[in-house]
Amino acid sequence: MAKAVKLRKPQAQKRGPGKTPVSLKVNHGLHTIFVEPRRTLLDALRKDLGLIGTKKGCDEGTCGSCTVLFDGKPVYACLMLAIECEGHEIETIEGLSQGDQIHPIQQAFIEHDAFQCGFCTPGQILSVKALLDANPSPSADDVKRAVSGNLCRCGAYPKIVQAALKAAERLKS
Amino acid sequence: MARVVKTQVEFEGRFYDEYVVIEGEDLPAWRADEKFSIVGQSQTRIDGVERVTGAAKFTHDIQLPGMLYGKILRSPHPHARIKSIDTKRAERLPGVRAVLHYQNAPKIPWRMGLTLLFDQTLRYAGDEVACVIADDEEICEDALDLIEVNYEVLPFVLDPVKALEPGAPKVHDSGNLFQGAPEIYERGEIEKGFAEADVIVEGTFRTQVALHNCMETHGSVATWEGESLTIWDSTQHIFGVRDTVAQALKLPKHKVRVRKQYMGGGFGSKNSAGKYAVMAALAAKMTGRPVRVVLDRHEENLAAGNRPSSIQTLKVGAKRDGALTAIYHKSIVNLGAYTAWGGGTTGPTRRLYVCPHIKTEDVCVFTNLGPFSAFRAPGYVEGTFALESMIDELAQKLNLDSLELRLRNYAEIDPATGWPYTTKGLRQAYHRGATLIDWQKRTALKEKDSTDTKKIGFGMASQIWGGSGGPPAYALVKINPDGTAVVITGTQDIGTGTKTALAQVAAETLHFPISLVKVELGDTQLGVYSPLSAGSMTLASVGPAVRVAAEDARKQLMDVASQTLEMPLDELEIDRGEFLNTRTRERIAIKTIFEKLQNFMIIGRGARGPNPEKKSVNTFGAQFAQVEVDTETGRVSVQKIVAVHESGRVINPLAISSQLEGGIIQGLGFALTEQRIVDERFGLVLNGNLEMYKVPTAQDVPEIITEMIDMPDPEVNNLGVKGVGEPPIIPTAGAIANAVADALGRRICELPLTPDRILKALESQ
Amino acid sequence: MKNFQYVNAPDVEDAVSLLQEPGTKAVAGGTDLLTELKERIKMPEILVNLKTISDMKYIREEKDDLRIGALATLSEIELHRMVRERFPILKEAISVTATPQLRNAATLGGNLCQSVRCWYYRHPDVKCWLKDGDMCYAEDGVNSRHAIFGNSTCIAVHPSDLAPALIALDARIRIAGSEVEGELLLEEFFTLPTETHRQSTLLGAADLVTEVIIPHRFGPSNGVYLKAMERATWSFMLVSAAVQLEWKGDRVREARIVLGGVAGKPWRVREAEAMLQGQTLSEGLAQSVGEAAVANAKALKHNAYKIPLARNLVKRGLLELTRRKA
Repeated sequence: MAKAVKLRKPQAQKRGPGKTPVSLKVNHGLHTIFVEPRRTLLDALRKDLGLIGTKKGCDEGTCGSCTVLFDGKPVYACLMLAIECEGHEIETIEGLSQGDQIHPIQQAFIEHDAFQCGFCTPGQILSVKALLDANPSPSADDVKRAVSGNLCRCGAYPKIVQAALKAAERLKS
Repeated sequence: MARVVKTQVEFEGRFYDEYVVIEGEDLPAWRADEKFSIVGQSQTRIDGVERVTGAAKFTHDIQLPGMLYGKILRSPHPHARIKSIDTKRAERLPGVRAVLHYQNAPKIPWRMGLTLLFDQTLRYAGDEVACVIADDEEICEDALDLIEVNYEVLPFVLDPVKALEPGAPKVHDSGNLFQGAPEIYERGEIEKGFAEADVIVEGTFRTQVALHNCMETHGSVATWEGESLTIWDSTQHIFGVRDTVAQALKLPKHKVRVRKQYMGGGFGSKNSAGKYAVMAALAAKMTGRPVRVVLDRHEENLAAGNRPSSIQTLKVGAKRDGALTAIYHKSIVNLGAYTAWGGGTTGPTRRLYVCPHIKTEDVCVFTNLGPFSAFRAPGYVEGTFALESMIDELAQKLNLDSLELRLRNYAEIDPATGWPYTTKGLRQAYHRGATLIDWQKRTALKEKDSTDTKKIGFGMASQIWGGSGGPPAYALVKINPDGTAVVITGTQDIGTGTKTALAQVAAETLHFPISLVKVELGDTQLGVYSPLSAGSMTLASVGPAVRVAAEDARKQLMDVASQTLEMPLDELEIDRGEFLNTRTRERIAIKTIFEKLQNFMIIGRGARGPNPEKKSVNTFGAQFAQVEVDTETGRVSVQKIVAVHESGRVINPLAISSQLEGGIIQGLGFALTEQRIVDERFGLVLNGNLEMYKVPTAQDVPEIITEMIDMPDPEVNNLGVKGVGEPPIIPTAGAIANAVADALGRRICELPLTPDRILKALESQ
Repeated sequence: MKNFQYVNAPDVEDAVSLLQEPGTKAVAGGTDLLTELKERIKMPEILVNLKTISDMKYIREEKDDLRIGALATLSEIELHRMVRERFPILKEAISVTATPQLRNAATLGGNLCQSVRCWYYRHPDVKCWLKDGDMCYAEDGVNSRHAIFGNSTCIAVHPSDLAPALIALDARIRIAGSEVEGELLLEEFFTLPTETHRQSTLLGAADLVTEVIIPHRFGPSNGVYLKAMERATWSFMLVSAAVQLEWKGDRVREARIVLGGVAGKPWRVREAEAMLQGQTLSEGLAQSVGEAAVANAKALKHNAYKIPLARNLVKRGLLELTRRKA
């Protein structure tokens, strides 16, 4: 291990610590917000863009209430900085329904009573959406695994599984 | 005419005599065989779309123009006195608007006067020291680091047994024993009972501190308009928050408005106002801007209450045939630093079985730990685990089937009061549950499926709880000119489906389709009082008032229709939201009569009637568990839970099955994985987060089979309903513990049944 | 989080140059670092984003090995065809790591370099030895989740699931820095913290992990990763065991047994491995190897259960591989 990386004057520009413009693509719309680098994606969505459907349950990646889709894949918005999301597609629960037309997954959640208080529900639905996008015919175990990173303290899990399977069936036909 | 009557009200397993004002006449109860089109049918949530689209606004989501944020500085010591506090550096930080603490805030008594809003003495690690108000949360956090507090560290005590020893550090000047004495109950003569026993079993059972971990943490947003205060609060009791905040700020009640539309779980922890509400209100006043104070997950797990730990000693005597002769049950409960009430665990022992000689002692103790608050069936979850474990031990000793032993001691009348029950479906629940889990074949199933390293076991436990609800609770039902109806009540939907069930009751009574019924609630300004949503009492309290109001509105509507349409009353009906002339079969839209009468309004009024006298109102159930214990890893996998409960009439089977499943899953967490862990040297909570405090995930959930014994209660209230929020969590841990004991052939008497405990028990074999 | 400056690194050279400045930290997936920033356990002045480095996010099959860029996410690795076919032990380890959301964000490099989960280290009111304090609070405190091997001043365990699996595969790791660049065995990359080097890897403050290389020396389906947790998922291990066997006919030619959750680094038990060499596996041998694996373990006050647990997982792993072979 002799050869080392040659040091040079970095070309990249530092941003912050004050507020800096950050461009976010959320639900197919481009938004520029003015925030400190420490702004999480979650706070940016909720405070700067008013997208309150994404919830803050723990703010440290341990509950799943802030699940959003990042380039189509579920992630915790509380463990991402807004500034690092530039150039990526973010989808929140608000992006799922088309006008008054709710998504088949949302419809199935209602029909199966797949929530009680509803606080974790947007995150659960987005995790199910990512699953069904990747695997249109999941088993009950696949669904449980897909939502294993979304805690539901009311214990709606059995009905979340039913709803996801029903939604999968409808989306296929 | 208004009447003042005395009625018995039960809350969280305790009974209170209350004088209540009853307005108007109550309706006779719906008959057991009443034909319904909406009640008793599975109904999806009427606010489902809001909940699945992210449109539902929780307290966390309230954003007001110019809103500031508050963050609380908490004591790092379990017992200390603030010698001095210096907030100058914090206040100089750009964006900081105020710092509240004991020197500059009003001295507001809190927790029944045991402390102050900002107390100079801190009684647990997490007690409130100061509150920073700033433009954003990040600035608040920066400012918290700049506050300098000089603490005088005081001796502390965490163990409730040590806290009762002479010379123990005093948590409160009044002493460490709650109300200065244990709470003792006796019937018969306990020594005589043990003398009569052929067999005696004894055991000591320990339960852990469990944390509610509602997904929405506690919090408030406060804003003033002149002298009037509005608070959005994540609460189970909007009127309670109103009263507490009004008292704290010395405001007349009508100057305080409390709102709550959607709430992310409460489970008892949000039964009363939190300090954050008053802090937000004070700060909003000081700064002239709306203020939001919301706890983070760590604060939630320190300061927002818990199910207290217990050490329970039981001694049970019985005749050779299984007839119980005596039960002694002593429970030491660790309340932490503050409480509003005792929190004993011996309720089930007093009430579940026929037994002539019983003595119970609840010793509730203050320590320097986070405060107790109600947690879904407080005391009964812990007490049922201990009692039902002991009953299984007794069955084993008597060589009796444990279900048979329970049936031999079945209480036909309430053994504590001697009163008859309004209804009791426990026997049916036992039999149905036993059928569903194949109880009689369990020995064969065990033998078939167990291996050298995977042991199958079966267990069961019973459930008793209150759930009668009671007055005062009021409702209005308004018929709009467009032919829709609005139910107006001061209750709150804490996520259980209250709104939907009330709409079902109103729609059924009005003969409207449910799509034409809206429900307004969660706002004290509506001015229609309802009690807190806790104690499994919401539907049984508010539902009957809604029915009376709806019936009042329906009658008015019929009277007016008969006159305006010039049709005799006996030819007129409401059918699916329209008038129907039963003779001509003509259908007439409801809005027709409003078109004739223009700004005419119909407002039906309803009040909850009193509870029946000298009758016990209880809910019952039985749960059966099948578990697999991995003897190499110590992990318990619950494979199946069968739950059969009786809570009177079922209004919404879909919502009830959700309640049952949810209660069982919380009970499963209590049995297997959830426990607060504290460092005894420093009094610090080590796992006040959702990483190390393990609540069940989707993958932890077994097959759950639920059924209700649908048994309309003819006496409890005009709907025949009892509560169902708490019952399902009560027997789960007991059933699982009994199944694990069955699988292992030995009993672990301490919850939760974690791999380390199981392995330790197996290694010491 | 204390505020910081943020900079996107376009390449490794820039990243390493930026990291020369004191108070600078690198961030990739952020799933671990952000939790430490939020708790103010770490308070960097500058954060260097590595995810903008384009040539560090790959999974490449070569003749002799599989090369995985440090920025590959756990999900990408888990789903990769060759990982699933040839290195099921790694796939198994990832599939029991965290949650789908975390696996989508977390990177390989970050997983190997993550901080310990000791509840004293993570507690904002405790300044423990690992946070440059004076003492370990777990030693006489609640140490039920702590180490049974190699304990010295710090008794926290290394939390990675990938590390034991990769070590069992004889993986190497590539590091780039201003003073070093090159490969070493992953096993040697992990260290127990010492007075002057209070961390669990050799990595210097301005060094980066760039790649992990898995040699094609083991046949497919010969490895298993078993993880004991308190609940079904979403938990760091109580104890885990990575067991990899190279068969020759019915006999074991070579074995690797690496335990997780038992020491400050992934703990390879060579004495136990040696017992398998040239042997046919039986229940009795598996039991003996399990016992040998924990022969030198020393329990603390609250973690004695880890000894039978590690023993049983090793035994179970060996029997599972025997079963899969048949």
